[in-house]
Amino acid sequence: MQLDKLLRVAKWEVTKNAGGVDKRTIVVMALSLVAMGAVAAIAVSGGTGAGMDDGIYRIGVDDDSPYYGVAADDSTFDIREPDPAAVERHQQELLYRGTQLQSVPRTAKERAALTELRDSTAQYNDRTLARDDNQTAAFPVSVTLVYEQQSGSSQLDPRSGDGSDGSGSSAGGSDASDGSGSSTGGSGDGSDTGGTGGSAASGGGDGGTAGGSGANLGAIGARLTGDVQGGTPSDISPPFPFESLVLAFLYIVPMNFVIQAYGSSMLSERLNRRGELLLVTPASRGDIIGGKTLPYLAGAVGVAALITAALRFGNIAPAGSYVAVLAVVPLVVLFLSATFCGAMFARSFKELTFVTVTITVTLTSYAFVPAIFTDVTPIALISPLTLVVLDLTGQSVGLSSFVFSTVPPLLTGLVLFGLGAGLYREEDMFTQRPIPLKVLDALAGGINSRRSALKMSIVLLPLVIVAELGAIAFLFVLDSVSLNVFGTNQSLGIVLVLGVIVVIEELAKSLHVYAGYEHARYERTLRSALGVGALSGLGFFIGEKGLLIARLSDLESLPIGEAALQGATLPAGLPLWVAGLLFLLPLALHTVTAAISSVGASRGRRAYVAALSAAIVIHFAYNFAVVSTLV
Amino acid sequence: MRSLSREKTIVLALLIQLFVAGFSSFLVVGLTSLYDPSSVAAGEVEMAVTGDAREELEAAAAEQDGTSVTAFESEAAAQRAFDQRQVDAILRGEYVPSTRGPGEQIQVTAVVPEGSIRSTLIVVEVRRVLSALERQERLERTPYLDQPPVPLPDTVSASQYFGFTYTILIPLLLFLPPFISGSVAVDTVTEEIERGTMELLRVAPVSLLDIIDGKALGMVLLAPAQAMLWLALLSTNGIAVSNPAAILLFITAVTVVVVTLGVVLGITLQNRRPAQLLFSVLTLVLFGGAVLLPEHPATTVAKLAVDSPTLLTYGHVGGAVLLAVAGYAVARLYIGRVAAESL
Repeated sequence: MQLDKLLRVAKWEVTKNAGGVDKRTIVVMALSLVAMGAVAAIAVSGGTGAGMDDGIYRIGVDDDSPYYGVAADDSTFDIREPDPAAVERHQQELLYRGTQLQSVPRTAKERAALTELRDSTAQYNDRTLARDDNQTAAFPVSVTLVYEQQSGSSQLDPRSGDGSDGSGSSAGGSDASDGSGSSTGGSGDGSDTGGTGGSAASGGGDGGTAGGSGANLGAIGARLTGDVQGGTPSDISPPFPFESLVLAFLYIVPMNFVIQAYGSSMLSERLNRRGELLLVTPASRGDIIGGKTLPYLAGAVGVAALITAALRFGNIAPAGSYVAVLAVVPLVVLFLSATFCGAMFARSFKELTFVTVTITVTLTSYAFVPAIFTDVTPIALISPLTLVVLDLTGQSVGLSSFVFSTVPPLLTGLVLFGLGAGLYREEDMFTQRPIPLKVLDALAGGINSRRSALKMSIVLLPLVIVAELGAIAFLFVLDSVSLNVFGTNQSLGIVLVLGVIVVIEELAKSLHVYAGYEHARYERTLRSALGVGALSGLGFFIGEKGLLIARLSDLESLPIGEAALQGATLPAGLPLWVAGLLFLLPLALHTVTAAISSVGASRGRRAYVAALSAAIVIHFAYNFAVVSTLV
Repeated sequence: MRSLSREKTIVLALLIQLFVAGFSSFLVVGLTSLYDPSSVAAGEVEMAVTGDAREELEAAAAEQDGTSVTAFESEAAAQRAFDQRQVDAILRGEYVPSTRGPGEQIQVTAVVPEGSIRSTLIVVEVRRVLSALERQERLERTPYLDQPPVPLPDTVSASQYFGFTYTILIPLLLFLPPFISGSVAVDTVTEEIERGTMELLRVAPVSLLDIIDGKALGMVLLAPAQAMLWLALLSTNGIAVSNPAAILLFITAVTVVVVTLGVVLGITLQNRRPAQLLFSVLTLVLFGGAVLLPEHPATTVAKLAVDSPTLLTYGHVGGAVLLAVAGYAVARLYIGRVAAESL
């Protein structure tokens, strides 16, 4: 790969394709972007205030009933004249005379309407009472919420040390007011953003209540941290960084436009053999791909930097820094590499559209779902977007968290580029080959000799890690929901995680072996098959030690994480020979299962599927036994 | 035109939409269950109450299903129980002189565990208990208020996903097919032009208008068919969708508008990249700009589906049909004028 050639291709990509977009398009584009901004501004300012759920419940109420005001203030309700006949005809869900509910809620809709009315009544009371002269009687209860570690237990939270998440400020307030001094976890020193710091300072004087209300009146910067908890009971909010999540979503949206353009550009190389021209130039495959990707990569990262700068100087998230931009880079690489692979596989624009939608949905959920748990568990760090949320809320990001969160997606992106590059050649680009064959082509691109099996197993490992982490993140929710479903000690979540992981690992170990056989890179003999399988298992074992990266994040402190990572980490305090055995057992396992599926692969497709299933069953039985006895 | 790959593509499209829908419901159900104790089998929230207002706190907690409380005489004992995980939270209630005016108020300090998946749930429960306490206290102090608070309606067991299903899930499911249809319309037109196969089609004794009409028709028919499938799937899942005919009419009209936009963009720009980009931006602007209408199209669908339509709702359906017909007529005029040789 040569830099000057790469840059030249990049320059062509920019100039040629910028030429393809004429001035009219640019004008329309600019106009629509302005319109988009205007729409967003209107929506934010709440000028029209048309909600999605406007008027879905109809309530019959006279204007002398106290509920008239409640329903009038909540656009979810459509107010009608009270009419018992209309209730019978299912044209009114609720019917009130005075404070008395006259209808009996039977249908799901009527029940939902009553629940909604209850919620809005509570809000209505808070609003009207806020104007009352006697504020003590209107809000007789004031609350200070303190987050505290339950000592004498395992430390679940990696952030317990720095306490920089604002809980310190409310804890400080409570200490000032009642002097019990019992808070241990909230040892923070108010190293948060300006807004929170300010309110904490004002709250310190006269107890937690003032601190809380100060925060509620404060700038959006203070609300972003969402941790100052005080005031009336309805001011309490669960730890959920809602605003930061919305802001983090801002980073994802532009990427979808970038990959759309990128995918079009890549696929159009394949139409009418246009890419032939570049392929015959002295530039290598790497130069071409790198050069064509560079502008989009730079563009996406540039947009992320712009967003961060705008948030920072627009005083919306004054804590945003270069960390947020850096954390976005792996995501950009992942989006682009997936699109590149998609463009190499797709046979037409139509297919590319679907592939792009799939990539958007999958990767957005990968980035977004874990980030929801930012304030709750270390699992959130699976997604780099969590780092963005942390950075925007002004919390510090440790180097180990950063590495844990960014390296797997980055490596995955690079592997995907590598696989796609295996297809960037005449035979695959300009012909219509079935997609399964193309997958094998992409894998076989890196196979030369028997030793390649070892290499491929290691190379594919980032994909495995990301897929497994993704599975953990998704099934994690299930774990908390359905504890002890089987009546055993293992929750359904753990069993599912084990199953998914086994399937992923066995596929990763054997698919490239199968590709090698299909491309006649290996001899179809039993000895060769066993050898290749063993090498593949060995490679996977070596690579799997890379899972030790998980140690960086305390993920194993959760039972589900432990189940997923067993084998990669060793329990402490065991005699040496047991440790040695535990170290070698996974090696034996991987070698054996890989050899089984390899033998199957050498006998053709059906045998491969059968052998793969056998390997999966063995692997699952082993994992389940280990988890049941050790955990 | 109807390449064999079409069938596979449709299956893929359906799978993707299923994934999107499944994913969003999963997300909402998961999130809601984090907040709602009754939906989780994680058991009750145990709270310790101390301080001189503990009897009031106990009374307030007695109303709540998901909570059980234990009274502790001393704070140290409560703290010990908290540390040993016998209780999930400590509520310490003291009568203090009010900071908001004359009289006394109850100052509650709630201690909740940090960094646990259950803390969200615990905080929600704490809020419930304290809101009940607030209501009780307000009731006792009603004589001092200018206006008594409105009594809360009774609780009934209701699906918490009801609103979500009708206002988010169904509109999402129904608006995805038109968007995808439009996007594919852009693809079919630009692909023929970019590959140069438009030439071949024009050798056949059909006009450009016929070709475009045929392509657009295929795409337009696809979306309501998918919408119908969704409605059928939803009703087998026990989610009754009312007014299916009106909904399908509305979705068809929206699809015609979106596909017309896609075809015109494809013909005008002749290049997939700018056309597709502009298409997505414009659809987003249109969909967002619809906020300016008296009723957002998503709300129109929601109100039809939940069976709360008003005259305004039907007005929107009619408006969409008019817009579709007018837009299509204008687009035909435009395409008729484009010289076929220039493609």
